Amino acid sequence: MLNFIARRLVNMFFLLIVVSFVGFWIIQLPPGSILDVQIQRLRMQGGNLPESMIQALRDRYGVDDPFYIQYWKWISRSLQGDFGTSFETDQKVAERIYNRLGISFGLSLTALLFTWLVAIPIGVYSATHRYTWPDYIITFVQFLGLSIPGFLLALVLLIMASRLWDQPIGGLFSPQYADAPWSLAKLWDFIRHVWIAVVVLAIGATAGLTRVMRANLLDVLNMQYIQTARAKGLKESTVIWKHAVRNAIHPLVMSLGTLLPALVVGETLIAIILSLPTIGPLYLDALRSQDMYLAGTILVMLSALLLIGNLIADLLLAWVDPRVRLE
Amino acid sequence: MTNVATGAGTATTGAQIISEDDVVRVEDLRLSFYTTLGVVRALNGVSFNIPRGKVLGVVGESGCGKSQTGLSIMQLTPGRIEGGRILFREFNTSEEIDIVKLDKNGPEMRKIRGNHISMIFQEPMTSLNPCYTVGHQIEEAILLHQTQDKAEARRRAVDILRKVGMPNPERIADSYPHQLSGGMRQRAMIAMALSCTPTLLIADEPTTALDVTTEAQILDLMRELQHEIGTSIMFITHNMGVVAQMCDEVAVMYLGRIIERAAVDDMFYDPKHPYTISLLRSIPRLGVARGQKLESIKGTVPDPYSTVPGCPFHPRCPAAIPGLCDTVMPDEVFVAGSRTHTVRCHLYT
Repeated sequence: MLNFIARRLVNMFFLLIVVSFVGFWIIQLPPGSILDVQIQRLRMQGGNLPESMIQALRDRYGVDDPFYIQYWKWISRSLQGDFGTSFETDQKVAERIYNRLGISFGLSLTALLFTWLVAIPIGVYSATHRYTWPDYIITFVQFLGLSIPGFLLALVLLIMASRLWDQPIGGLFSPQYADAPWSLAKLWDFIRHVWIAVVVLAIGATAGLTRVMRANLLDVLNMQYIQTARAKGLKESTVIWKHAVRNAIHPLVMSLGTLLPALVVGETLIAIILSLPTIGPLYLDALRSQDMYLAGTILVMLSALLLIGNLIADLLLAWVDPRVRLE
Repeated sequence: MTNVATGAGTATTGAQIISEDDVVRVEDLRLSFYTTLGVVRALNGVSFNIPRGKVLGVVGESGCGKSQTGLSIMQLTPGRIEGGRILFREFNTSEEIDIVKLDKNGPEMRKIRGNHISMIFQEPMTSLNPCYTVGHQIEEAILLHQTQDKAEARRRAVDILRKVGMPNPERIADSYPHQLSGGMRQRAMIAMALSCTPTLLIADEPTTALDVTTEAQILDLMRELQHEIGTSIMFITHNMGVVAQMCDEVAVMYLGRIIERAAVDDMFYDPKHPYTISLLRSIPRLGVARGQKLESIKGTVPDPYSTVPGCPFHPRCPAAIPGLCDTVMPDEVFVAGSRTHTVRCHLYT
C-alpha cells in the first residue's frame, strides 16, 4: 500500500510539471501582457511615459523573453518554494494565495461535509421509500435544487438575509471584528457572514448526490446478498446501512476526487456576489490581467488538488471495497 | 376414479398427508403480486408438509411459484400473502407458530430467520456481500442468534467452515468472497445457513449455477450434513436428476399449485399426473431410446396475468377430458392403494 502511494506521488509530480507547462502556455496565448495593462494604468495616471522607462519595465518583467524562458524562470524558482511576485500588486504570489486559501478551503470543506451529511440519509430514505409521497417530494425538491443556478439563489438569500432577518451581508466580518483576535463572538459573526455561501454551494451538490445515492441504492437493494442478509435475520436497518449503503457509496467516493478543485473554484461566482475574499475571484482577476505567475500558481495548485483528491478517493474506495484493494 | 370431487376449490385437507412429525405444514397458501400491468396470482392454494429430517424436493418449470413458496416461508417474498397458513414447529417443541401471522420485520420473525429456518440461494457469485469477509458474514448470524461472545462466534464460524470441507478454514474466514471460486462460495453459503443448526433449510436451486463436478460435491456435502445435523431440507430445483440424488419426497408444482406429491421412487417409477409424466419423459437418459427424438411438453406456460379455468394444465394436457378438465378444478386425492402418493387430476378422482 505504501508502495502504491509513493508511486502515485511520483507520478503526480511529473504530471504537475506537464500541466504547469501547458497551462502557462495557454495563459500567455492571448495578445498583450501584464505590461500593457501596467503601462495603460501609468499613462492614465501621469500622461506620457518615456521610452526608457517602458524598456526598464519590459526588462523587469521579462516580457520580451521567449515563453519557455519565462516558464523556466518561474518553475525553477517555484520548485524551491518561491512562486514569484504578482505583477499586479508586487506582493508575493504565495502570500496573496495563502490569505485566501484558508477561507476557500474552509468554505468548501464545510459545504462538502454538509452535502454528504444531507445527501446520504436523504438518498437512502428516498430509495427505501420509493414511490411514496415523501419520495416524490424529495425528488421534486432535488430537481428544483439542480435547476436553480447558484448565483441566483445567492442573490435571493442575500436579499432575504438583509431585508427579513437583518443580517450582515458581504465580506467575512463586521467592521468591529475585522482585526479583533478570534473569540466566540467573532466566530458567530463569521458564521453569520458565510452561511449563505455554504448553503448555496451545498444545495446544488446535495441535489445531485442524492439522486446518485438513490439510484445506486435501488440497484444494490436488488442484489442477492441483501436477501442473504435479510435471511440471516438481521434488522432491516442493519441490512440497509451495513450491507447496502457500503456497496452503493462508490460513486460518491469517486466524485470526491473531482469535487475538491471544483469546490475551490466553483464558488467563484458566488464569492463575487457575496464579496468573499476566496481563491475564485483572485484566479479570475489574474487571468484577466495576464498576471502569469499568479495564474500559473493557482492553476498548478488546482491540478494538485485534483490529483490529491483522486488519490484520497482511491484510498477511501480501497477502504470501503476490498475488491479494489491492491495485494 | 368414479369419485367426482365434491365442491371444486380449497378442500385440500382431506388428502393431507398426516404426520405427527412435521417441521412445516403449509396450508392453502395464496400469494399475489400487484403490478402496474395487473395482478399475478403466483400461488393458488399451495399445501404441503415437510417431515422432520427429510429432504423434500420441489420441482417445476420457471415461474411455477417454487421459489416464491420458499421465500414465503421466510416471509421474504416481495408479493402479498393473501391467505393460508404456514405452521412451523421448532426442534423439541410441540408448539406451532403460524408464520403468516407474524410481522414481516418484527422480532419474532427475525428470530426464526437464519436461526430456525435458513436459506441458500441460486447465485453463489452474488449471494455473499463483497465488502465483508466470509468469516464476518458467518459470525454475523452466530452473534445474532447464538452467542454474544465474539471470540466464540469466530471459533464456531471456523468450525462450520471446516465442516463444509473448506481447506484451511482460518484463511477462508479472512478471505473476501471475490477471492473464492463459485463452489467455495456456495460452501460458504451452506456454512452460513447451517451455522445456527436450523430446523429447516430452504435451498433454492443451490447448484444450478455450478458446474457438474462441483454440483455433485455440493450435493454430497448437503446430504452428509443433513444426516449429521438432522435438518429438514426443502430443495427447490428444476433438475430431476438432482431430485433423484437428493430427495426423499418430491412435490411437483404447476402454476402456483402442487399437482403431485410422492416418495421419490414412486414419482420416478409410477408418476400419475400427465404433467409429471411429460416432465420425466423430457429428460434424456443414457442407453434408452437411442435415435428417437426427445419428448417435449407441448405449448407454453400461460400468461401469468390471466387465470385458467378448471385444471391449469388442461390446455397442454394430452389426456384432458373436454367439459370436465376445462371447467372444474380437480381436488388433491390419494392415488389408489397409497397413503403417501397424492395427485391433483381428474383422471384419478
